[in-house]
Amino acid sequence: MISDDEKERYSRQLLIPGWNQEKLKRASVLVVGLGGLGSASALYLAAAGIGRLHICDGDRVERSDLNRQVLYSESSLGLLKVEEASRRIAAINPSVAVVRHNAELDSQNAGAIISGCQIIVDGLDSLEPRFILNQESVRREIPFVYGAVHGWQGYAGFFHPPQTACLACLMRPDVFRPDRVPVWGVTPGTIGLIQAGEVVKWALGLAPSLLGRLLIYDGSSLSFEIISVEKDPACPVCSRS
Amino acid sequence: MVIYLKAGGELRSKLQPDVDYYTRRIEAEAGKTLSDILIGIGISPAFVAFAFKDGQLKRLDYLPSDGDIITLQPPVSGG
Repeated sequence: MISDDEKERYSRQLLIPGWNQEKLKRASVLVVGLGGLGSASALYLAAAGIGRLHICDGDRVERSDLNRQVLYSESSLGLLKVEEASRRIAAINPSVAVVRHNAELDSQNAGAIISGCQIIVDGLDSLEPRFILNQESVRREIPFVYGAVHGWQGYAGFFHPPQTACLACLMRPDVFRPDRVPVWGVTPGTIGLIQAGEVVKWALGLAPSLLGRLLIYDGSSLSFEIISVEKDPACPVCSRS
Repeated sequence: MVIYLKAGGELRSKLQPDVDYYTRRIEAEAGKTLSDILIGIGISPAFVAFAFKDGQLKRLDYLPSDGDIITLQPPVSGG
């Protein structure tokens, strides 16, 4: 049941046909990485009323984060991202239960961090932990909402094996990785909000628009292109499960 | 045969487009994979995360046909 306060808080979204606030309240979502992508997705998921938000990041806030990581401000510098994010989420929507993981995700701790979550949102800034999350998504058969950015360009996808392909069907792990990724705020903001939108559709029981598909966004030309991602019969991850 | 490669993001400068801002015309030998063709024009496959044609994902072992228009996408890993 949602309370009278919640009915007032969500009154504008409750007007949307098919909206079911109780379904959002029952959802348990994991956001891994609280940078540009995770800032946008976590903020909007909290504002929308996701019931339980698990957040994971082992970093502290640096000044160079502030051009895009909208969870933080000057007063956050040097503080743990999970603590600052938790405070900001509570200020926006105190009814959201926040579960904090002050850790960098790796193959050792991934199982414990994902435990109890129904869906994974990718806010990471490197490939290795993305592939760890993808493996867990395949193993547990829970959705993995992929997002990544570089400069003006971003990708977003909704992979839900075994129904769809997985991230490893899309790309190989042996691609080039720059030491430092160029990025400005609108790119992860755009992709992070698209990820949040897909999570909310899924939580409402609607079909995510990116299910088994990849959105390719280029802010420099303001182009959005969606491609189908078919399962790779030789995928080293999902074809073996 | 002739194929057209398009590149998004930072791959564009490596592709050196000659048809328009995004596209390069390539004369390729039939039977060569996309990976072989990329190496032939001096682009390491490590700079290509994936490719697509007509809205469908194509892997680097794809054998292009005459007239194909294939878009190359760079690795994108930031958050």
